[in-house]
Amino acid sequence: MVADVDFWLTQFLNGLQLSMLLFLLSIGLTIIFGLMHFVNLAHGALYMVGAYAGVSAAASLGNFWAALLIAPLAVMLFGIILYVLVIRRMRRAGPMNQVLVTFGLIFVIVDLVRIVWGDIALGMEQPALLSGPVEVFGVLYPAYRLFIIGVGFLVMVALSLVLSRTQIGAMVRAGVENDAMASCLGINVERLFFAVFCVGCALAGLAGAIAAPVFSATPSMATDILIPTLIVVVIGGLGSLRGAIAGSLIVGFIQTFGAVVLPGFASVLVYVLLATILIFKPAGLLPARG
Amino acid sequence: MKKFVCAALGAAASVAIAANAANAEVKVGLLLPKSGNYAALGQEIEDGFVMALEDAGMTDDFTLVSEDSEAKPPVGVAKARKLVLQDEVDAMVGIVSSAVLGAVRDFVDGAKVPLVVANAGNDAATGEACSRYIVRVSFSNGQVNRPMGSWMAEQGIKKVYTMAPDYAAGHQMIEAFTESFTAAGGEIVGSEFTPFGKTQDFGPYLTKAKAASPDAIFVFYAGGEAISFVKQYDSFGIKKDIPLFGSGFLTSPLYVAAEGPAAIGVKTSLHYVPTLDTPENKAFVEAFSAKFGRAPSEYAVQGYDSARVLVEAVKAGASDRESLADALPKVSYTGPRGPLTIDPATNNVVQNIYVYETVADGDGLTQKIVGTVGEVRDPVNGCGLQ
Amino acid sequence: MFHQTPLKTLTVATVIAGLSLYAIFGGYFPREIVVEIALLAILAISLDFVAGYGGMVSLCHGAIYGIGAYTFAGMTAIAGFDAVTATTAALAVTALFGLFVGAVTANISGIFFIMATLAFGQMAYVIVFEWKALGGDDGLSGVSRYDLSAIGLNLNDSLQFALFCLAVVVAAYSVTAFALRSSFGRTLSGIHSNEDRMRALGLSAWRHKATAFSFSSVLAGAAGILAAQHTMFVSPELLVWTVSGEALIVVILGGLGTLAGPIVGAALLVFLKHEVSAFTAHWHLIIGLFLIAAVMAGGRGVYGQIEHFLQRRTGRPADA
Repeated sequence: MVADVDFWLTQFLNGLQLSMLLFLLSIGLTIIFGLMHFVNLAHGALYMVGAYAGVSAAASLGNFWAALLIAPLAVMLFGIILYVLVIRRMRRAGPMNQVLVTFGLIFVIVDLVRIVWGDIALGMEQPALLSGPVEVFGVLYPAYRLFIIGVGFLVMVALSLVLSRTQIGAMVRAGVENDAMASCLGINVERLFFAVFCVGCALAGLAGAIAAPVFSATPSMATDILIPTLIVVVIGGLGSLRGAIAGSLIVGFIQTFGAVVLPGFASVLVYVLLATILIFKPAGLLPARG
Repeated sequence: MKKFVCAALGAAASVAIAANAANAEVKVGLLLPKSGNYAALGQEIEDGFVMALEDAGMTDDFTLVSEDSEAKPPVGVAKARKLVLQDEVDAMVGIVSSAVLGAVRDFVDGAKVPLVVANAGNDAATGEACSRYIVRVSFSNGQVNRPMGSWMAEQGIKKVYTMAPDYAAGHQMIEAFTESFTAAGGEIVGSEFTPFGKTQDFGPYLTKAKAASPDAIFVFYAGGEAISFVKQYDSFGIKKDIPLFGSGFLTSPLYVAAEGPAAIGVKTSLHYVPTLDTPENKAFVEAFSAKFGRAPSEYAVQGYDSARVLVEAVKAGASDRESLADALPKVSYTGPRGPLTIDPATNNVVQNIYVYETVADGDGLTQKIVGTVGEVRDPVNGCGLQ
Repeated sequence: MFHQTPLKTLTVATVIAGLSLYAIFGGYFPREIVVEIALLAILAISLDFVAGYGGMVSLCHGAIYGIGAYTFAGMTAIAGFDAVTATTAALAVTALFGLFVGAVTANISGIFFIMATLAFGQMAYVIVFEWKALGGDDGLSGVSRYDLSAIGLNLNDSLQFALFCLAVVVAAYSVTAFALRSSFGRTLSGIHSNEDRMRALGLSAWRHKATAFSFSSVLAGAAGILAAQHTMFVSPELLVWTVSGEALIVVILGGLGTLAGPIVGAALLVFLKHEVSAFTAHWHLIIGLFLIAAVMAGGRGVYGQIEHFLQRRTGRPADA
């Protein structure tokens, strides 16, 4: 096994795919974190809702691509309701209260999903276009996973361009750096936060819908993905796109290669890394605020 | 004349009352998860249980008290204590999680209350930790997998790569398979235990399995993990080169539909398959589907048989804890899963194990039985019952 | 700053008395509930000490609770040591773990501190889960309760065990109250208020924080030992981070930084859970809504709100 190039190439692609999924989730969380100073533990629950919305949309419309469009919109709508009812009011409360409120939200959302969709895991079919393996550098790799990598990259590039080249992007960066100052300069920070929050929710929903065909939609998705996502955000650094990229790549690859090389204790590795970063560089590797 | 009628009525009434008193109701405590990840299994088991009582026409002979174990050991113990000490049940039925069974075992044995285990499969419960009061009608982890070892060897498979989640049940299942497969001359070329419950991405492991070039892959996964595994096994193209075998939970009728076409051709072993072609099973499947709107799974049958053994014990005259504990291991009948008896040496069920292949059926999937291993009995494993 | 006010004494006394009566006259299941409340209360008190008074919000106290339970269980059921040695060992192990975590995280604050404790808690969980000798997720049975026949108590009787646990709650509260009123406790509050100023005064902040965390861990470990004896069984899910989350919820529901609040919160949450789950399997939903409402209403908790209300009425400060 060890010297086989094909094997390591496949694992590399596996790591990349996991990283992209983590990226889609963590970018929403980190911007919300960095910009709104809001700890949203329910972000994982939004991912779960995205997966279930995708499953239902695909089942009723019979079309994967429609589901991919509907799920993020549905989750964004759901996020708007949460924002108006709960999150807007908790913005100025300390991190602990936010942790608790969103913890409560996890309970509520998971049980709602259980009531509507039941407890049994639900599956979603991959689109015919993407099912089956494809040859990449001499290795057979699932086409759908390449699709995930592709979507991740696209979002990465799009966000990168928006943040660095557009006015809205500049406003977001200003808000992350110093929201009081930004609002003094006339930026409507409230509306900016709301827009960013919506985009974050949509991305979580997209991640869920994309993940559903590979994994399955289960109520435990909300908490299963939460810790890896939080780890990515903390390791990468709050509020920065580059931090989210770096964090998701690091965590994705450690989990993938760790699982292969050191099974059993692979999960401890990530926690050790997290603890180390928190002790020596608590702001993360590439934080938004220098 | 009036006096005669009154006297006759009075006599009839007292005879009826006397008959009812002799037929005192048996109080049964159902300890199943109603919330949490195993709630669906708990519901299946309860549905099967209730149906069996109706089938036997004995719903009135049993009083049921239902408690949520949440699949958590401390909660299971607390609820078990309540059922036994406060509700004073004559018997308990249920337990999905092996951890809960482990926690409750000492209490049940000490309080001398018969417990009919409707799911939890840890080998020790009918091994070193067996008890006169614990009767298992579901399966044991070893029992379901041992027959596959010899069956696969008979099919000419020589090298196998095994995978399972890294928890007690996973290890027990693979150990049983490995033992019988190697005894029949096979070779295990690699074995992987994936992080329990956290592994959604089997990519890394599937790649490793392929690199070991086995003739076949044998796995144990259940629930959401099973769905993910089977689908990824297909999408990585491994399905084309290496056939997949496993414990029946991998393609359980309860969720195989979510696996889609990826599950076609996978051969697994289980103690019950809904397509079993026997009159008892046909009647059961029809009645269950009519009542609940879905085909029964092995969990439903486990619930059904839990009730059935109680019914048989009560018909044989048992009514309180001690007489039930005596009568339950002696029960023997042919039910939906085939012939069912209890081995007095371990108090574990003795049953057929069916090897079945998942095949396409129109738009959906169904199970085709390709082999039957009759009367599979567990070795004594340290149990001192006899 | 902590003061043992008449309100606190009254609250604690009322709750403990009420629970005792419930256990005595209630029957078997009420006794189980009382023990559940007692264990959660001790854990919550330990958490309030570091979180409410020390400003260190920890998500690893559940893991510490589990470590205490497992050490005791392992020492008695596997290694065959007697109860006293096992108890000492369990408390020592949790003290050391707490000291380590407290020392290492002393310079971290806010959400990062919470995440760091989460990381350590999860590490402990994985280690316990993977350590095959401890039984893995099938758990470890065969744990027996203290033999107090020398003073005429039989802890295998559920009523006596329930009352014993309530006694330990009172002891935990008293010990913590004592610690908070001592100069150590005052220093801790000072560090919570303004760490830089305390350092300017020449105090070693990290040493205080580490010691405080260690003390809190001993209490959490004690709760764990009782938990192991209650079920007479331990399994790795005692260490999952959601246990820590539940402890935090209890502290908030009762009142953070009040010390009496956690006891109220524990009783409240357990009763709420049982009442709601009696009529629906979806009790998580109700608890979640309740929690959200409680936090959004001010986050002071039930007891905390009462204390705040009385404080405004009488103008007398309860806790600075």
